Amino acid sequence: MNVQFKKGVLELCVLVLLDKQDRYGYELVQKISDQIAISEGSVYPLLRRLTKEGYFTTYLKESSEGPSRKYYALTEEGRTYLGDLLTDWEKFTNGVNQLIKEGVRDE
Amino acid sequence: MQYELSNKSKRFLEDLRVYLFSSGKKSEEIDEIVEELESHLVEAEQHGKPIEKIIGKSPKDYMETVADEMAIDFRTWFKYILIIIFGAFSFTIFRDVLAGNLSYSLLEIVGHLAITLIFTFLTFIAFKYISSNNFSNTVQLVILYLIGMIPLGLFIGMYFLNESIRTPVIQFGETGSMIVAAITLLFVLAISIWTKTGILIAIVTLLTLPEYLLSKTTLNLETQLILSSVISFGGIGIYLFISSQLNKDK
Repeated sequence: MNVQFKKGVLELCVLVLLDKQDRYGYELVQKISDQIAISEGSVYPLLRRLTKEGYFTTYLKESSEGPSRKYYALTEEGRTYLGDLLTDWEKFTNGVNQLIKEGVRDE
Repeated sequence: MQYELSNKSKRFLEDLRVYLFSSGKKSEEIDEIVEELESHLVEAEQHGKPIEKIIGKSPKDYMETVADEMAIDFRTWFKYILIIIFGAFSFTIFRDVLAGNLSYSLLEIVGHLAITLIFTFLTFIAFKYISSNNFSNTVQLVILYLIGMIPLGLFIGMYFLNESIRTPVIQFGETGSMIVAAITLLFVLAISIWTKTGILIAIVTLLTLPEYLLSKTTLNLETQLILSSVISFGGIGIYLFISSQLNKDK
């Protein structure tokens, strides 16, 4: 898949996953890589950027299994941004699906 | 329970830290991302996943991706530049004061000041330009290197010009020399306090003091020269080694 495209989609996935509950890095990455093939480390730079842009806040929480975990929580700003992205995504996929439908019928 | 990372993962994290540092990133930010990745690797290894699954096929590519998401730390860059400029200035002035009273040609004085002003001005413009545009890291570094080369070229030009053109030479008497030295010392101290590092003091002292003290001895000139450069560069080496060790412990 195109790298730039994947980056955008990854952003959407992360935001969606944080909408209902706070999660820590490893958990987020697992959820995504269960569905899409990604290199797991690529999520962290993205998390950094979105945090810096004010869409997430972070906090540390002790873990019984190892080092303490950094949890990500969606901010109000992040929620609004997610809404925008979802609208874009819907428009985009509808458009592509429409093209596919027409393309397939023509053959 | 504390889990030990595999050596391969440890190596990778160490490499990443060095790579990010040499790309001019903020050290707190580097710590943060390395720590987070470390805890990810711990958990991944506990679940029996190889590191390739996490960073992809090429560690280098991965490091670049991380670096691209992090801003270059301009404040630190600016600090280094100030240290270098004042280091060069104060080194020249202290050495000359210790060797006798100061005397500079008008061209040298004006030239030094003009070059410093030009350089500071260009640096500010470059930083502003860079931070407001989305350049890749390579382009940013090329711009900064070019800016760094300008004063070097100007200084070389000035020295040649100074050889061929006679401008009035200004002699600072004893009092004058002392005042200039005191002002320089104040600047050096102020910058050291501001940048919270003793490197400027250490290097300037090590470069000027041994030479001066040895010139007071009865050793012949050649021995003096060799000894003073051994002490200067050996001392700087030791200083850098100790301070890097101290940094590591922090």
